[in-house]
Amino acid sequence: MSDAEGAPEVGRKPAREPELGPGPEPSLATAGLTKAFGGVTALDSATVSFHHGKVNALIGPNGSGKTTFFNCVTGMIRPDAGHVTYRGRDLTGWPSHRIARAGIGRSFQLCRVFPRMTVLDNLLAAVRPRSLAGQLARSGGREETERARGWLTRMGIEHLERAEARHLSWGQQKLLELAGVLMSEPELILLDEPAGGVNPALIDRICDLVRELNAEGRTFLIVEHNMDMVMSLSDHVVVFDRGRPIAQGPPSVIQSDERVLGAYLGV
Amino acid sequence: MRRDSDTPSSVPFPRRRLLHLGALLAAVAVAVSFPSMAPSPYEITVGIAILNYAVLSTSWNFVGGFTGYISLGHGAFAGLGAYATGLLVAKGELPPFAALFVAAALVAVLAVPVGYAALRVRGASFVIVSIALVLVLLLVFQSWASFTGGSRGLVVPRPFPGMLRAEHHRTFYFLFLALLATALLVWWLIDRSRFGMGLKAIREDEDKAQSLGTPTYTYKLVVFVVSAAFTALAGGLYALWFGDLDPVFQFSILSGAYMVLMALLGGVRRLYGPLLGAVAVGYALEYAKVEYGDTPLHLVVAGLLLGVVVTFMPDGVIPAAAALLGRFRDTGRTSIREVTAAELRGRREQSDGKEVRDGERRGRGA
Repeated sequence: MSDAEGAPEVGRKPAREPELGPGPEPSLATAGLTKAFGGVTALDSATVSFHHGKVNALIGPNGSGKTTFFNCVTGMIRPDAGHVTYRGRDLTGWPSHRIARAGIGRSFQLCRVFPRMTVLDNLLAAVRPRSLAGQLARSGGREETERARGWLTRMGIEHLERAEARHLSWGQQKLLELAGVLMSEPELILLDEPAGGVNPALIDRICDLVRELNAEGRTFLIVEHNMDMVMSLSDHVVVFDRGRPIAQGPPSVIQSDERVLGAYLGV
Repeated sequence: MRRDSDTPSSVPFPRRRLLHLGALLAAVAVAVSFPSMAPSPYEITVGIAILNYAVLSTSWNFVGGFTGYISLGHGAFAGLGAYATGLLVAKGELPPFAALFVAAALVAVLAVPVGYAALRVRGASFVIVSIALVLVLLLVFQSWASFTGGSRGLVVPRPFPGMLRAEHHRTFYFLFLALLATALLVWWLIDRSRFGMGLKAIREDEDKAQSLGTPTYTYKLVVFVVSAAFTALAGGLYALWFGDLDPVFQFSILSGAYMVLMALLGGVRRLYGPLLGAVAVGYALEYAKVEYGDTPLHLVVAGLLLGVVVTFMPDGVIPAAAALLGRFRDTGRTSIREVTAAELRGRREQSDGKEVRDGERRGRGA
């Protein structure tokens, strides 16, 4: 199930596909993605692909390159080598706003909202006008305000719409960040540790939201350390260690993979 | 950050808007009638100086207020606007007001490569880069005396040759007022637009804004060019009014620093912030110059003001005053701190209480 090297990984997947009939439609995929910071190789020729329309998870020990992977595929940092594709389209080297407009939204590990904007403005700032006239048009029109309120209601923070985001609790900020990402209408949503620092009740709520949104057609890619959450939520799990995938498959298979246990427990 | 669209609750809103409109009309009335009430042309020149400061700091606030990029070098655009206007009139023999707009357009074009380079860096680095342009231009305009007049100065022909001094001041007072109104109007239009919302998102968190799809670099560059053009118009109008340019004053770090001080004093997030700051600082500067003209005391005044503002009112006078007023008003609907935990729980339970409690139970079990 798992291979020590990145290269055999590539060969393995197509070999399995005939058994499954037409394989899952690829969503985000990378080929040979490499990024080094000084002497530290954060991503080491990572070749990996995620499934469209599914909840995908990316796990691995601290420092295994998960966040660097997020930053490379969303254009926050430039990879040194390799390619990023999304549904067959090459996004390598695109600036992050173009990648966002291609339908990929993301949250940040240390939840980032616009602290001195109101909760409602946080969502209105995520509206992406396509035309010049649309950019010069007044912000906060009826349609977009209603859409924003809809997301806030769904997150359960609609009563805070006029509060400044910095006054919200950590959990509320996490929900606000997710609402902002949804407001930008992504097809694929990358969540960087959605359960980090969040109480169990809210974790359940976030899980429910992910399930609902996935059922409505959005693809997820989640980096998370909470294994209960990963295993119960995801359809497809990729395990990173030292900047490259060491295993991938459905949660049930990953859970019993020796290499994964080794990477986590340091055996 | 209070925009019209932020206030959907209907009760206090029409009254506030009425108050707003009344204050605006009163301010316009005072500004328009000021020249006829002024006891001598000198007061009108003080009025012009303050209006000039107000246009400059409002222009600066297109970049500083929206994007949070603090440019200390905006004096360069004012100086370039002034010199370009002066040279186009004196050497190019263009009609004065045609020269003014051509000059502003030239500065806007120049601002593209300048912004392209400067806006790549953020924070303190941007501040330093922005200063560089002023210093370079000061040396160029001093050394290239055959073209610019160098330190001897450049005399700009008067746009209204037959006009008496008092009438000249009065006319320019209204020209500056019109320019200020235009700058404020454009700032207001951007403030309420989606473009403005994107700029404010840049101020808050640039990477986050970009990750949501805002083309941050283009946005910054566009607003930088708009800002430079208005700054150049203010400089050019000053050249036509004052009639004599010297590189030491036109390309001075001080003029950029004054713009920052005025905007910060009034409040960079507010439409009228820089204007209010300009009235306060402009008056203080004129007063210091008249009373202690042969000493650099006006610099001490400016320095002290900056220190006080940054220490005690980092958001400026307007938000500080608004916060003070806000203590006397009902803030139940605007502040989450006014909601107790019990109230919040009540509301939550009304909407989806069962779900949360179930979740808690499940969470504890896990």
